[in-house]
Amino acid sequence: MGKSIGTKVRRIDGMQKATGKAIYGDDITLPGMLNAAVRYVDIAAGKITNLDISKAEKMPGVRAIASYSDIIGSPRIGLVRQDHLPIIDDEIRYHGDVVAVVAAASKIEAQAAADAIEISYQSYEPITDPQEAVKPTTRLIHPEYNSNIVVHYPLIKGDADKALSESEHVIERTYNTGFVEHAYIEPETVTAAPDHTTGGVQIYGSIQNQYTTRKMVASFMGLNLNQVNVMPSNLGGSFGGKDDIANCMACRTALLTKMTSKPVKLTYNRENSIRESYKRHPYIMKYKVGFRPDGKIKAMGIDILADSGAYGALTFFVNWRSVVQATGPYEIEHVRTDIKGVYTNNCYTSAFRGFGSPQIVFAQESLMDEIASLCNISPLEIRRINGYRQDSITASGQKLHKHTVSLQQVIDEAVAKSSYHDIRSEYKQKNESSKRYKYGIGLACSFRGCSLGAEGTDFSSAIVSVQADSSVIVFVGVNENGQGLRTSLSLIAADALGINLGDIVFLEPQTSTIADGGPTVASRGTMVGGNAVLDAAQQIKSNIFSVIKDELQVTKLEETIWSDGKICKAKSKNEFISFKAAVQKTYAAGVNLSAYGWFKGPKVNWEETTGQGDAYFTYVYGCQIAQVKVDTYTGKIEVEKVTAAHDVGKVINRLGAEGQIFGGVTQGIGYGVLEDLNTQAGVIKSKNLDEYLIPTIKDVPHIEAILVENPDKYGPYGAKSLGEPPIELTAAAINNAYAFACGKFNYRIPLTLEQVQLGKNLRKPERQSAEKQAHNKRKSPYLADITTSKPKKLSAALDILADEKHKILAGGTDILVTARHVQTSLQLVDISSLPELKGITENEDELIISAGETFSRIVSNSRIKKIFPLLVEACKKIGSLQIRNRATIGGNIVNAAPCADSVPPLIAYDAKVKLVSSTKERIIPLATFIEHGYKTGIKKNELLTEIIIPKLRTENIYHSYYQLGRRNSMSITRMSVSIILIFDDKDIITSARLVDGAMFSRPQRIYDVEDKLLGNKLTDNLILAIEKPLSDKIESEIGGRWSAVYKKPVFISLCQEALLDILRQRKEDK
Amino acid sequence: MNTINFEVNGKKVTLTVPDNMRLLDILRDELGLMGTKEGCGIGECGACTVIMNKEAVNSCLVLATHLQDAKIETIENLDKDKILSLLKEAFLDHGAIQCGFCTPGMLMSAKALLDKNPNPTIDEIKTDLEGNLCRCTGYIPIIQSIQAVIKKGV
Repeated sequence: MGKSIGTKVRRIDGMQKATGKAIYGDDITLPGMLNAAVRYVDIAAGKITNLDISKAEKMPGVRAIASYSDIIGSPRIGLVRQDHLPIIDDEIRYHGDVVAVVAAASKIEAQAAADAIEISYQSYEPITDPQEAVKPTTRLIHPEYNSNIVVHYPLIKGDADKALSESEHVIERTYNTGFVEHAYIEPETVTAAPDHTTGGVQIYGSIQNQYTTRKMVASFMGLNLNQVNVMPSNLGGSFGGKDDIANCMACRTALLTKMTSKPVKLTYNRENSIRESYKRHPYIMKYKVGFRPDGKIKAMGIDILADSGAYGALTFFVNWRSVVQATGPYEIEHVRTDIKGVYTNNCYTSAFRGFGSPQIVFAQESLMDEIASLCNISPLEIRRINGYRQDSITASGQKLHKHTVSLQQVIDEAVAKSSYHDIRSEYKQKNESSKRYKYGIGLACSFRGCSLGAEGTDFSSAIVSVQADSSVIVFVGVNENGQGLRTSLSLIAADALGINLGDIVFLEPQTSTIADGGPTVASRGTMVGGNAVLDAAQQIKSNIFSVIKDELQVTKLEETIWSDGKICKAKSKNEFISFKAAVQKTYAAGVNLSAYGWFKGPKVNWEETTGQGDAYFTYVYGCQIAQVKVDTYTGKIEVEKVTAAHDVGKVINRLGAEGQIFGGVTQGIGYGVLEDLNTQAGVIKSKNLDEYLIPTIKDVPHIEAILVENPDKYGPYGAKSLGEPPIELTAAAINNAYAFACGKFNYRIPLTLEQVQLGKNLRKPERQSAEKQAHNKRKSPYLADITTSKPKKLSAALDILADEKHKILAGGTDILVTARHVQTSLQLVDISSLPELKGITENEDELIISAGETFSRIVSNSRIKKIFPLLVEACKKIGSLQIRNRATIGGNIVNAAPCADSVPPLIAYDAKVKLVSSTKERIIPLATFIEHGYKTGIKKNELLTEIIIPKLRTENIYHSYYQLGRRNSMSITRMSVSIILIFDDKDIITSARLVDGAMFSRPQRIYDVEDKLLGNKLTDNLILAIEKPLSDKIESEIGGRWSAVYKKPVFISLCQEALLDILRQRKEDK
Repeated sequence: MNTINFEVNGKKVTLTVPDNMRLLDILRDELGLMGTKEGCGIGECGACTVIMNKEAVNSCLVLATHLQDAKIETIENLDKDKILSLLKEAFLDHGAIQCGFCTPGMLMSAKALLDKNPNPTIDEIKTDLEGNLCRCTGYIPIIQSIQAVIKKGV
């Protein structure tokens, strides 16, 4: 083995990506290309009674509209069950169903035409609870099948029921996980083009499994496989997510290409992506476990219900993996597992990194900690007692003897590296005295079957082609998702041939060029792709060897070493021939320098009725330890460190391997804490990345990556899987850390603020806000009819505004977001360059901020920082730097979002606003200017020009500010508190200002609390005493609201905490 | 329609475009500069980050009218830009690029930071990059890359 394997190597496609030159699906432009847009249904379940495309057809730029009747081949696709319609007929199964696709000259024209398609419906009550869906009397989501049960996998080992009845202790627990969105940064995009050579189509775009896409398109279009060539572009992330949806998009664009004879591109915006693309399966998992008092588990009965959503997709495979692994890496004599995947009218679910493991690992690892606690033993001890060892028998009856069972090893490594024992003691002690924050450390471990296992036919292909000048081309059948597959497989090829990585070019797979290599899933890319590359390299080496063996005086290939560009005699290394010279001779001799490599996975087997068999040909083991800090006042969980130990067999590219751990753990943090997909009655409410929260740079802790190597006999150089194991453990480790910190067990993830504080999530009841009523006409999100004018002077702007039809455009960070949903034409006056609206000035009594000043200028202004620190602290929390560089304080105030961050501090500071029209000027207090959410007292012809803040000219002034957001950046403020207290020299509070943010109908001074504080010394008792007036105020303002049960106690705690903060500041000053 | 005069990567540009065209669309569709990407359309992901008048901005929220006399820098300027080139080498050395879709935006934010402050603390790095989402790398190699460039000296 050469020296590159296992080291840190630069990825070979890094340069093109760094320079912005790498071609992703949406970067493709072909001559004559049209742009497409989809028309979604408007309800989650029902029947279409009328479809009218007549208006849409006549709209500008439209070339074709494809609906069900235009489908040429088979309208139903699906890898296992053909239940999925890329363009539906009349049956609506979920809110992301597509009823028609429009091809037009431009994307906006296509979207406008799609919006103009009129549909009439007969609605059904959507079925969204799998527990309802599974009942035999419930309406069939797919009447063409006779059950809502998509698949059922049983597993029977021994006699679990009997063993449970005989167990000394029995515990029953139910765990729940929800929908999870892949949230790859690149939204889906597919382009189809006519292929006149084959009479078929060429497909490009963000496609993960090109052979599946080819199969689906061929079937949908009535073409042969050899007439569909799928050429995936660079993938901007996939994680299993660009499979079924890419297939649907490919079918739609292929159809439009046929109808128009032109290339057609369909690129999704983020809203389309979240609405339509499949998610991770929510699981309801019931575990019944029988165990001995010493912690030895005797029996497990496991029932899992998986929400398959509208279509079966890969539920068949996802659920199968779960049935194999549901017990966790524990040797248990008696196991009964039953998993059922059911149809509902929710978004359909399919492959997502982990593929049926993150859910069960969360359940089983949480359960292990709870059992350990009941037995009074440590989480380590219970795993030592029950965990797999060499030759253990799994739940499916497989003996683990063909690989190194390294479960205990990865646990030991993670424990050692994280100083688990010391931290555990330290946290126990800390928690005794710490009131607000509790600290926890928790671990989770797992085993995972590599590659497809008995669920699929496991083979892969590679072509290695050595050119006459000894440069090499490598093609494989598996796909670069971004994980670094090109680099790993090129490293393997380079190493096998003994040449430099730089001599290899890795070309993109096209389905017509290289045989089906199977999907790039199941963390199989390196293993099976790598083995196929090795097979091809071996054939080439044999061929070259046959030409040069006499010259080197050797008889067998094994007598040579291929390294550093030379082929030398193993016994005498200074006798060699250069690779280059050897290639030249081989070429001259007319001997083949290319080879087709093939790898077929070792035999595995599965018995359907008993769930017994050798499920996977090998396994990997992992252990993660998470350290968390829990804010018991708000429910916010800070993940402070994750130690991740993974047995990978052999590291091929160290940077790539660490990258998989960092990225997987980060997704795991999202899964465990942040990613709460809000869906109600089948409609997804978390529409974009402002509502569906993935970890930002500030949400990721220190991650310690430990790569354990126990080379596997089946993997190239002993390498196994790493793509998925890192994501499956983190949420479980966090959940266990939380239990340690707070002394209670949690049965549902994500651990959102509400899940922690209340044990459940809160959902806004269905009602239309005023804004929604105003823009009731359904519309795809994009900027439609906008006209802008840009007056050079304020007076000119005011004249334009006098006609009251115009809206104001400053930084654009609010209006250009909401304008995407506006159907009617918008006339905007661009005031962003008006010199009169810029400047921060002060006089003796006041500081004046012009309304057009951006937040980045405000937060970096030393005068504002000094005199009005609350304003700076609050404004730093707004959006991101990119937003703060554009967003203006005037815009923030006039938009008057309930969570507008600049407003509460300004009210605390008694700020006033100046409003100017072409005829008059007025100055009013900000507190009265804001009337309620999204409503101010501004008149249509007025502009807010200045924010005037009176200076507080006194010593003994103290501030405290706290903002609660769900994550550490780009967080909509859930609530905030701004406090200013002024004391006299006898420590009496002479002035008190306390303002809420995002609590009441508008931010306001809470006078009842201020009155309680005034005239008193600030003491612990006084701080406790504010609870009553504050509680009464909250109750009267928002008592009946759906969010009050969370917000009330939290806001009271935060106000008290802010006052305690001031108390601490005063103590420090003394 | 709007006729705008502005500068992209040091070159003067005059374009007449519809009022509703965003800078992101102008770069990609009018000027053929595909390095800047669209991830969300609402300023939440940062994939569309470019530098406008020395500040990092989301080009999906900049309209044509905003561009009059603006100076725009995009990832396509990398080969001519010292800091971007240093950052690129560091990103490659530290494994800060996986799928690469967030990379142009990430590099532009990093460049804007280092142009403003050649020696930021780790908190300052995180604050200036908080508007760039990455789903692949876990951000750690990205931070390490920027720290490596700082250490080397800009």
